[in-house]
Amino acid sequence: MTIFALIIINKAGGLIYHRTFHEGGLQKISTNDYLVLAGTFHGVHAITARLNPLGNHNTNRLSSSSSAGIRPDPPSGLEVLESENFRMQCFTTMTGIKFLLFSDTTQTNVDIIMRRVYEMYTDYVMKNPFYQLEMPVRCDLFDRKLLSYIREMNSR
Amino acid sequence: MAIYSFYIFDRHTECIYSRTWLPPPAPPSQSSADGPHIPPPQSQTLSAKSSSDNAKLIFGTVFSLRNMVRKLGGDDDAFISFRTAQYKLHYYETASNLRLVMLTDTSTLSMRNVLHQIYINLWVEYVVKNPLSPVEHKGGEGVRNEMFEMGLDQFVRGLM
Amino acid sequence: MSHLGPGKASTSVNGKDQILPAIGGPGGGGGSSSSSGGALRYPSNGKTIYHRPLNRSKTSELSQASFAYLFSEMVSYAQRRVTGIQELEKRLNLQGHPIGLKLLDLLLIREPPRSQTRPLNIITLLHFIKINLWMHLFGRQADRLEKSSDAATPDEYMIIDNEPLVNAYISVPKEMSQLNCAAFVAGIIEGVCDGAVFPARVTAHSVGGKEEGEMWPGKTVFLVKFQPEVLEREALIGKG
Repeated sequence: MTIFALIIINKAGGLIYHRTFHEGGLQKISTNDYLVLAGTFHGVHAITARLNPLGNHNTNRLSSSSSAGIRPDPPSGLEVLESENFRMQCFTTMTGIKFLLFSDTTQTNVDIIMRRVYEMYTDYVMKNPFYQLEMPVRCDLFDRKLLSYIREMNSR
Repeated sequence: MAIYSFYIFDRHTECIYSRTWLPPPAPPSQSSADGPHIPPPQSQTLSAKSSSDNAKLIFGTVFSLRNMVRKLGGDDDAFISFRTAQYKLHYYETASNLRLVMLTDTSTLSMRNVLHQIYINLWVEYVVKNPLSPVEHKGGEGVRNEMFEMGLDQFVRGLM
Repeated sequence: MSHLGPGKASTSVNGKDQILPAIGGPGGGGGSSSSSGGALRYPSNGKTIYHRPLNRSKTSELSQASFAYLFSEMVSYAQRRVTGIQELEKRLNLQGHPIGLKLLDLLLIREPPRSQTRPLNIITLLHFIKINLWMHLFGRQADRLEKSSDAATPDEYMIIDNEPLVNAYISVPKEMSQLNCAAFVAGIIEGVCDGAVFPARVTAHSVGGKEEGEMWPGKTVFLVKFQPEVLEREALIGKG
């Protein structure tokens, strides 16, 4: 039940934050590799939103019900990625920021943790007058609070 | 649990087989005032054109994700599946670099077994052991034989 | 939700209020007016219009997030075309100064009539700041009040706050580590001191350490340095 790492990607696909919390979960890779990973994932995320096999069929079926004023959800990108050794959850905000949380396969309450991380982001990064939007996150308070929260989660 | 489509890619990164089981688009009973609707025959040709594009996109996605997972989880890690809000994609790679990809709805659990079964019971039996099919299936030849297609269809419909 | 009073410089005129000099506001404090034929009338419970907050919603509270965004914009505004950290702190100080001036009057008039005296010496003034001002602004008292033990500077006093509210969400980048945005609060304190005719210079200094186990990483000391004439006067009054 451990959280391995957190990665934050901005609107353009650039890496703005990455932090590992638990050694031994994921392989150690350099910052450059993380940058490449973030860019790749950004592209893949966009493609997966378009691969929706139900694309045409939903619009046909719903065209008669759209008179009721219900708009179908726009296709969303990748949300969960599973592999043998880890599990990755991707949370996309309304402003295009992606939070990638890497945990082990048995982690149960990833939603709650993701929500809490997002809250911390909005508090300690967005309310900081010295933070420029879409730039790498260098906020001391954010690091501190995040670390203490994840440590608490990992030690449960 | 609904299965939407199934693809096989060989080790030369080519799509050698693809099959969809999507329900046909519902014929519009009342003519709706909002928005044009695509008449069925047109949508067939559209989907025929875009299905090869789809296959390419799927392969690209799967390839990138597989590399990402290998990088993060170590060389022996294997990418199993991913899920979006609309569909779920399952991936299975054999030792001979044959890649099986299946798209289902979001409520399906792991299809690894299913893909494994398809590989051993259908692919190996009806394609590999077929003396008339070539070793390299360039352009998909040798894959589309009757027994394989029938067997696959039966198997999948049995699951749905 | 923290208790941030509406004591900020607000120039909006509430349309419902009519400034009637003789009556303590419409339904002011629920008190009935006592009349005494022509003289100035006060409601019997002593609560005038100045006791009611401007923000009359049910909870009369402000969300901390709104304040945080507003303050963040104030800091960015102060940062424009500024040459260095000293000037940035000076600008924040100037932004807080008029608030202090107005708060002094408001808080004094809200005291119960018995203790409504002007602070006449340094210690009373500083206690007023530590207790009344902090309670009004932040909903709690300041943590410590100290006199400088350095004999060379007997005019320096220190108000210590372990966790200034205004710095709650701000992480200062490493290249500006001397900056403390509580310079704004220092400006408010300076306004109060100047308004009470105790001219002073107030600055904010961060003393919280960067180590892991630090209890209060944002601990701030507000250094109040009075002008020499204040000390002279204090000495004279003390003798007399």
